[in-house]
Amino acid sequence: MSATLPRGAVVARAWTDLGDAVAPLSNGAGRPLTRTVKLILDPLVLRPVQHPEFAAGPMAPEPADALRDRIHAAGPVLAATAAWFVALKKERRRLRITDGNPQDLYFQRCFELATEHGRPGADSAAIAAAVLAEVHTSDGPTVTGLRGYLTDAANVGELTRLIDSVWATFTAPRPAPVPFPTADFLATCATAPDQGLFSALVSGGAGTEGAAELDRPRAALAHGLTDRDLPARPVLGRSASKGNLPKPFDRSIMERLFAPLTNTFLRAVLAEVPALVRQEITRSAGPWQLGDEVSRVLMVLGREASTGLVGGAAGGAAARLRSRWEREAYVHRALRMPSAVPPEVRADVHDVRAAYLRRLWVRVHGRELRQETVTADQVWDVLDGVLRSVILDQRDRLRSALEREAMA
Amino acid sequence: MRVSRDAVGDWPEWPENTALVEAAGAVLAWDVLGGDPVPAARIDDPERAAEWLWEIYGAAADGVLGGATDVTVPAEGDWRVRDACRALAQLNWVEAWWPASVPAGVPAVDVVVLRAERAVLTSTVEHLLDDPDAVTRALASVVLPPVPALAEQVSALAEDYGVSLSAAVPARAGYALAAGGIGSSAGTTVLTGSSTVDWALVPAGVVDAGAPADWAVVRRQGTTVLEVSVAPGPRPGPRLAARFADVDVSLSEVDALGRLTGSAPVPPSVLLLPPDRRAVTVYAPDFAAPTAPDPGAEARRAALIAYARTRSGASDATLTERTAQ
Repeated sequence: MSATLPRGAVVARAWTDLGDAVAPLSNGAGRPLTRTVKLILDPLVLRPVQHPEFAAGPMAPEPADALRDRIHAAGPVLAATAAWFVALKKERRRLRITDGNPQDLYFQRCFELATEHGRPGADSAAIAAAVLAEVHTSDGPTVTGLRGYLTDAANVGELTRLIDSVWATFTAPRPAPVPFPTADFLATCATAPDQGLFSALVSGGAGTEGAAELDRPRAALAHGLTDRDLPARPVLGRSASKGNLPKPFDRSIMERLFAPLTNTFLRAVLAEVPALVRQEITRSAGPWQLGDEVSRVLMVLGREASTGLVGGAAGGAAARLRSRWEREAYVHRALRMPSAVPPEVRADVHDVRAAYLRRLWVRVHGRELRQETVTADQVWDVLDGVLRSVILDQRDRLRSALEREAMA
Repeated sequence: MRVSRDAVGDWPEWPENTALVEAAGAVLAWDVLGGDPVPAARIDDPERAAEWLWEIYGAAADGVLGGATDVTVPAEGDWRVRDACRALAQLNWVEAWWPASVPAGVPAVDVVVLRAERAVLTSTVEHLLDDPDAVTRALASVVLPPVPALAEQVSALAEDYGVSLSAAVPARAGYALAAGGIGSSAGTTVLTGSSTVDWALVPAGVVDAGAPADWAVVRRQGTTVLEVSVAPGPRPGPRLAARFADVDVSLSEVDALGRLTGSAPVPPSVLLLPPDRRAVTVYAPDFAAPTAPDPGAEARRAALIAYARTRSGASDATLTERTAQ
């Protein structure tokens, strides 16, 4: 018998003890759904932030027992959560709602309902309908509103002058006399993120300083962030299409804001159009064309970690990214993916680092718009998730290029 | 099983034998011909893998992660999750390598059934997969399958994930090929031969996996012509070509037997090629570049065809394999 157990095993066994009552929150193997863990168990039941002994990793017998007790104690509220989820899905079907992922949208609401009302009772349909009405009210700015605002003659002159003035006053950051300890943070960010070091990078302006070289000719181009020799000030823009966006620095204000506005459930948290547009204009003239130092630090960390993708010595985060990229080579062969790459995907495959930095920029930009920050212990998830997303996107594009070819 | 720093067991030697699952922090692989229920693994993130590795190796997971060089995976245990992973891996293999062939007697699988079954299995083991959106991604290509029980299952799943399934069957690719063309009767056939097709050079289902490509060198009206033909598979479409010596032939026509065919002039010197160089390599130019044949590959393909023939009646077969026709 070993002294420690993986947290996954402890959770799985405790979950199994809860039986069929939590089946709506479980997958076919009887384990809690990915989103059950992410949206309910972690943030609402186990709360590893307050209880570090419940964090992922090997668990000694004592905290393992405590974790099991905690899940058992939450059994009734979890069973009620599951019952509310069933009630909400039933109401959703009755109302013919098809938008959004029910798990993402309702799980935490169901936990709230379970805490407040216990199991669904006679009035459950009415309560469910009220919750659905609330969740599915599309608040927030819309694409139509954005287009109207950006093309309204009353605004165009003023907004264009704003672009000119923020770009005119922009001064390129200067390289710091002493390099920031980004490598030290990356060395352990996947396993033991150093909170203090991350705060120091942010407060010391490591992200801003790291943008210094982007104003040299072709530097931003080499980063994959623009097709121009030097980034130019953005235009306001009149239209945008999701499948055909230019590189991040070449996007109009319309194009920068378009994608986040198309997600009905995320746009509710965005600022109203006039503020959103002004913030975006200011952002466009900032280092990395981002507004928040945390985002800029992430760009610098991503740039450094992604060197592992193109050879060179690699340790820490860079070595991990490289091993993911290398594993793609044999996965690719085993899945019988094409070895000839169609022209539209070629640039991304051959310059994976540029594709990586582009995707990272889009991620952190979206987080800025939603005013979500990234903490030290989330950095590795972001850096790793971006590469996974680049790889899966490349596969999807290779497959669809093949299918188009087959239909041609 | 042998364990090294980041690998467990023996990784399948050939891509076409590999059934894999991309899990969080590790890739699991079974050799479809091996029959071992316990997979090999390549671990790239031990911390993430630790959360679920016990589902696959039981008590041996501790040794795997603890630096042991050899572990014994217990036979007894609750292996339902591992079996579900095995089935998902099998479907990944079927999608990539299923060797449908009329002459070899391997029925074609229904891609619609395959995708629906895969979405269901993906959801079963969602908790250990690398892609947090694996289920939504798997559902994206699903249309309602013609198997009522599976259709019901996948509909419920789609509802849980807020994905709208389409009931329509996607239009099959028609033959965009000109019929007739080769006058095999005309001219004098000087040399003939056949070569099997390297599966890695064409997309799945495009050519018959068990039928060879036939070639002939024909003298016709004072010129020497190379003719090549190959039987299409259940999902033809992407353009094909064949390389013989240094000559490329586009297989853009269909002959009277329904085979994909084409011809190209060749210098008379091809007749002087040593026998071992008289081989034709069929490939899809948008998929792969032609490569020299691997001498052992033909036997490996034959073994996989023999394996696939047994699958419709195998007790551990997926629904997709059992409903192939």
